[in-house]
Amino acid sequence: MAISVASIYQLSVPKPLQTRTHFYQNKPISRWRQKCTVIRCSNSTAGERARREKNYYELLGVSVDSSSQKIKEAYRKLQKKYHPDIAGHKGHEYTLLLNEAYQVLMKQDLRREYDASIGHLRVGFGENTTSLVGYSTWNGPLRPQALFVDENACIGCRECVHHSSNTFTMDDALGCARVKVQYGDDDQKIQVSVDSCPVNCIHWVDREELAVLEFLIRPKPKEGFGVFGGGWERPANVFMEAQSFTKQMKQEAELHHRNARATVEEETPAQAEARASASMKLQMEGFSRIWNWVKEASGSWKEP
Amino acid sequence: MAEPAYTVTSDSETNGEEKSSSAFPETAIGIDIGTSQCSIAVWNGSQVELLKNTRNQKIMRSYVTFKDETPSGGVSNQLSHEHEIFSGAAIFNMKRLIGRVDTDPVVHASKSLPFLVQTLDIGVRPFIAALVNNVWRSTTPEEVLAIFLVELRAMAEVRLKRPIRNVVLTLPVSFSRFQLTRIERCCAMAGLHVLRLMPEPTAVALLYAQQQQQTVHENMGSGSEQIALIFNMGAGYCDVAVTATAGGVSQIKSLSGSAIGGEDILQNMMRHLLPNSESLFLKHGISEIKSMALLRVAAQDAIHKLSSQPSVQVDVDLGNGSKICKVVDREEFEEVNQKVFEKCESLIIQCMQDAKVEAEDLSDVILVGGCSYIPKIRNLVMGICKTQDISMGMNPLEAAVCGAALEGAVASGISDPFGNLDLLTIQATPMSIGIQADGKTFVPIIQRNTTIPARKELVFTTVHDNQTEALIVVYEGDEKKLEENNLLGYFKIGIPPAPKGIPEINVCMDIDASNVLRVLAGVIMPGTPHPVTPLMEVRMPTIDDGHGWCAEALHRAYGSTRDLVTVQKKI
Repeated sequence: MAISVASIYQLSVPKPLQTRTHFYQNKPISRWRQKCTVIRCSNSTAGERARREKNYYELLGVSVDSSSQKIKEAYRKLQKKYHPDIAGHKGHEYTLLLNEAYQVLMKQDLRREYDASIGHLRVGFGENTTSLVGYSTWNGPLRPQALFVDENACIGCRECVHHSSNTFTMDDALGCARVKVQYGDDDQKIQVSVDSCPVNCIHWVDREELAVLEFLIRPKPKEGFGVFGGGWERPANVFMEAQSFTKQMKQEAELHHRNARATVEEETPAQAEARASASMKLQMEGFSRIWNWVKEASGSWKEP
Repeated sequence: MAEPAYTVTSDSETNGEEKSSSAFPETAIGIDIGTSQCSIAVWNGSQVELLKNTRNQKIMRSYVTFKDETPSGGVSNQLSHEHEIFSGAAIFNMKRLIGRVDTDPVVHASKSLPFLVQTLDIGVRPFIAALVNNVWRSTTPEEVLAIFLVELRAMAEVRLKRPIRNVVLTLPVSFSRFQLTRIERCCAMAGLHVLRLMPEPTAVALLYAQQQQQTVHENMGSGSEQIALIFNMGAGYCDVAVTATAGGVSQIKSLSGSAIGGEDILQNMMRHLLPNSESLFLKHGISEIKSMALLRVAAQDAIHKLSSQPSVQVDVDLGNGSKICKVVDREEFEEVNQKVFEKCESLIIQCMQDAKVEAEDLSDVILVGGCSYIPKIRNLVMGICKTQDISMGMNPLEAAVCGAALEGAVASGISDPFGNLDLLTIQATPMSIGIQADGKTFVPIIQRNTTIPARKELVFTTVHDNQTEALIVVYEGDEKKLEENNLLGYFKIGIPPAPKGIPEINVCMDIDASNVLRVLAGVIMPGTPHPVTPLMEVRMPTIDDGHGWCAEALHRAYGSTRDLVTVQKKI
């Protein structure tokens, strides 16, 4: 649904700015995006913003790999505390955020997109949502293994597309096959496709690795120097590249965690509660632009 | 009887203020105003208690009789005979009339009631009148309901020995926001403050959550999630809800409802017994009203009896020379009401689809409301939900009011040392809310069954070059056709001159926990991060009576000059 996607988009936009600027330095930035950033930057410094930017998992006090059941329980527990029926009108903003977070995290596809947008390693990485368009989606529940086509090796024989047309697609511009829907066909057809590949470029990979691989295999604009260089490139060995990329990301994430706060996973229920109470008191960053304006108009806004 | 304890209004009001400033919050009472019956309940500190009137009734008929100078309602009034309600002097079924315009089919169906319902079919409030001393005296559904609420309030004040101000009311799912404002106005007229208006099945869901929690406490089991379907059908309305309950929290997953109920079944039955009954009763002569009353009572009796026996003998002398002598069996009854039953089925199916649950997922099926006694209704619910066992842990006529009383206690901030009030209902919006855009189409901004509190926004832009204004027309509903949805209000927002498609008009909708809808709109121009004009904040609905032709008039006056289109997301 367009609406929910829109709001996730807004929430997630500024997140990767500080740590992973180098990944999309050369990318055109959409008008919308620019504007969004301007609005958010204007009344707080980058650090403050990062702290105020609500992470849905933190908001609910659950770990990023929590099951839907866990999320549901956490949501209900928090609702019981902050729902306006119980906490009065001051719980309104907080409950809005809870509802938003719950809605996103309970829907498998929305959660995946969200995970990707917050740069989570499980399935995602730091990138703006633009590059996520066209990534393979999942048919049915997530499974531990995923299909990945090493586009460097692919010779564009269309054999796999022929056997499982719901799973594979042909990128005619680049002349290679790609997975569009994970498990889009039944297992048997997929196996036939994998076996039929003359160059064995269809790989079974761990689900966790998939997003990184799919990201890296995409041709990236090469950094140019004046009129030299430029153009597009992709790593020669995508698997090696993925390993080092993941390692780098982990280090960054660890650093980030160490600097900012204890990791969410290690949080005890008591801590979670304390944090939840504290975050309640924090000025809520509404996820609506209009709402921000209203707040700005009502006094909390200062010219930078 | 009630006189001695009836204190002067000003006195009780000062008492109320003292009380609210004290440490003990006033517990809001729960009221279930049904189309035909009404009840009132309160959390008494340890459990929910239904309040009884002076005649020891927990459930009272909803009607107001106009006699001489002072009207009297079903709370205190002692009927000499059932037929008195149908003499034309009493107004009932207010809930089916309130906030509806005279083009509404439900209003048209009410024209065969004994009191007078006149329509002009132009989209204004219908004219209703009661027969007092052979004179049709005009009134309004709001006035009638307010009189009734005043009686209820007086009775509750006598029983509880304290002034009553805050109330939680249960209402049908299909009520439009405009109808809700009418209900609020009735309460204000009766000196009551509405703390919450809750859809009837969600009140039942709250009661279910409490019962669930108690059994969990007893068994020391885990608070696993239970999914329940609640079917509530009374005299005027049919509502369905799917709720997921765990640990005292009931999360409403979906709601559906329609204005069909026992009244429709009764009218079908009357038509079956006397095929030309409608044309006869539209005349509203004294003798016609009398025969109508006789027929109504006979049909009602027959329906009640058919719930327990396979066939019934109807013997009634209508007094105008015609006599009905007929045996009606259950098959016939089900045949004449087939459409009603089909509608019930479609509501249940839609509700389950919206909640994305299958019959196998349901742990409980709860059937409440007066119509739940009809075997066909029970069978069709059991059929769709593929269950043989319908939860009978609740009194079908008292469940909604008990839930309302629980909500009243929770929302008043009352806590219970035994955890009996450790409850919460997370409500959802029964209808989508959106605006008119993209030509004459309805663009929803908040989708139906969105959890509330909710806040969503969408971006629109202009359709003409140098368009200086945009007309934002807010609707509620789920019909494809714009005009079949309920109009909630409209306002204009000024736009600086620019080529079409350049200004961005953000429309944001916010619904808080008490179901108050606010619509905000702001205009931003490219290059400026902030709105160029002051934002508009409008509390909806803004329309008043006679709104039926508003949308049409707006369209005539403005055409498409102030239209908007949605902006595709720029990603």
